[in-house]
Amino acid sequence: MSFKKVRQQFADSMLAVGQEDPDLVVMVGDISHGVLQPFAKAYPKRYYNIGILEPTMMSIGAGLARVGLFPVLHTIAPFLIERSFEQIKLDFCYHGLHGNIVTVGSAFDYSYLGCTHHCYNDFALLKTLENSQITYPATPIEFDTLFRQSYRNDALTVFRVPESQHGISFPSEEIQFGKGIKVADGSDITLVATGPQLRTALGARDILASRGWDAEILYIHTIRPLDEDLIISSVSKTRHVVVIEEHMRSGGLGDDVLRATRKLSDVSYASASIPDKFVRSYGSYDDHCEMLGLSPEGVVALVENEFSRPVRVSSK
Amino acid sequence: MLNGDLRRQIVNMVVAGNNGHIPSAFSIVDIVAHLYSQVLKVDFQKPDWEERDIFILSKGHGCLALYVNLHRHGFITDKDVEEFCTKGGILGEHPDVTKVPGIEASTGSLGHGFSYAVGIALGNRIKDRDNRVFVLIGDGESHEGTVWEAAHVARNYELGNLCLVVDWNESGMQLLPHDDLPAKWKAFGWNTVVIDGHSQDELKQAFDNICFESKGIPTVIVARTIKGKGVPFIEGHGMWHHRIPNTEEHAKIIEALT
Repeated sequence: MSFKKVRQQFADSMLAVGQEDPDLVVMVGDISHGVLQPFAKAYPKRYYNIGILEPTMMSIGAGLARVGLFPVLHTIAPFLIERSFEQIKLDFCYHGLHGNIVTVGSAFDYSYLGCTHHCYNDFALLKTLENSQITYPATPIEFDTLFRQSYRNDALTVFRVPESQHGISFPSEEIQFGKGIKVADGSDITLVATGPQLRTALGARDILASRGWDAEILYIHTIRPLDEDLIISSVSKTRHVVVIEEHMRSGGLGDDVLRATRKLSDVSYASASIPDKFVRSYGSYDDHCEMLGLSPEGVVALVENEFSRPVRVSSK
Repeated sequence: MLNGDLRRQIVNMVVAGNNGHIPSAFSIVDIVAHLYSQVLKVDFQKPDWEERDIFILSKGHGCLALYVNLHRHGFITDKDVEEFCTKGGILGEHPDVTKVPGIEASTGSLGHGFSYAVGIALGNRIKDRDNRVFVLIGDGESHEGTVWEAAHVARNYELGNLCLVVDWNESGMQLLPHDDLPAKWKAFGWNTVVIDGHSQDELKQAFDNICFESKGIPTVIVARTIKGKGVPFIEGHGMWHHRIPNTEEHAKIIEALT
């Protein structure tokens, strides 16, 4: 388990990349201003704590992109993705401009703050926009690697930074933008996990093994473009798939997995996600995961409720 | 009649394309004409020239005023004009940067273009470029909160390379009548100049006196205008906002502009 926060890595990456790239500009809405001070002090002309005016920050960022800069816009997810959605749609995506949005407050990370600070529909919203990309880096090295691989491409790239991590530190050479990672081999069920929920998938795999299931685990750090080939390859073999994600059921990774596997016959699908309802309760992040079935036990229960136990033919 | 030829062209385009906002375009056509003929450093042969000035029409529904000036200065062709609002044409009821040479931003949803222009002005400063940025918003558009967010940012970051023009035709005052726009801009700390937006002399004096600098106080020109200016029976606020003239009305409008 890495003890460094992904948000800290965001700040460290800005400093490192900013040193190499004079066109990198960081603009924040009074969030992470403290951790970004090394960048702010090193490159005052390229750092702006612009104010608490997220839609305008988004349009300003598009203007920066228009003159050839590479903006990184940062604050809490709902204010950037939901409140500023029209600015993302029109000023970045319709204009065909490149840029980067780094959000904190993934899904219900701000679990005690309630609906105003939650954002679990961001994949759904962003996927409707031409020229958008979505990543969900859940360890420091994933953030650094994915950012370096994609921040200068032609699209608007969103980095959903979670507070929790999944606990596996993949070597950077295994992290490829747009490519999933097969974390464990299995033969009769595929667990597709994104973000910190990889940890849930790993826990569920152990319990499932004791119940007769041999689970394969795929980890998806890039939601869009999605590595459909990896998913199809696995599900073609296992014919059972569970998608585990901190996103609303509608429009989440699960919907994309369903679409990717639509041509496969006899596939059983289940979704461990947030129902299409507001999360209204308070409590810790772990409390929320537990309540929503985003726990090893929750995933196992889902599998046992939705799927028939695999039939094994013993070989002599 | 100042810019009578451009006004006639606007009306003819609206009738031919069966779409368009005539009064909104008439309100700003003198300002846009002055910018393109006297102020902006642009080159129709190189619409993406790196050293050009930028003009963004944030109140996108006034785009006919922009189209006729782009046509006059060679950015778009007779054919482009003829194909206004037709299948396959590049000119629609809102300007589109992805289609039209010389247009700098796709606008139409109010409250975007000014903030976008602030980003361009800030970006030019970061890149040590001295391109000037001009943006035109409506007074109705000034109901949008993002206008004042952008005003706040531009003043605080001292974007002296930015000039805002407000088309004060009192559209906004139909809904929220107690509106002293110059006082608001002064309160936000901008250099505030109030002019008659249909006076060539006042336009010239206002734009000639702006002191553009990379870091300085931005200037707003609050231009008093008349919606539908030039044709008495369509002036003001009412049914002509988005009305297409019939044959008889078309003839009367052209007569009034001749």
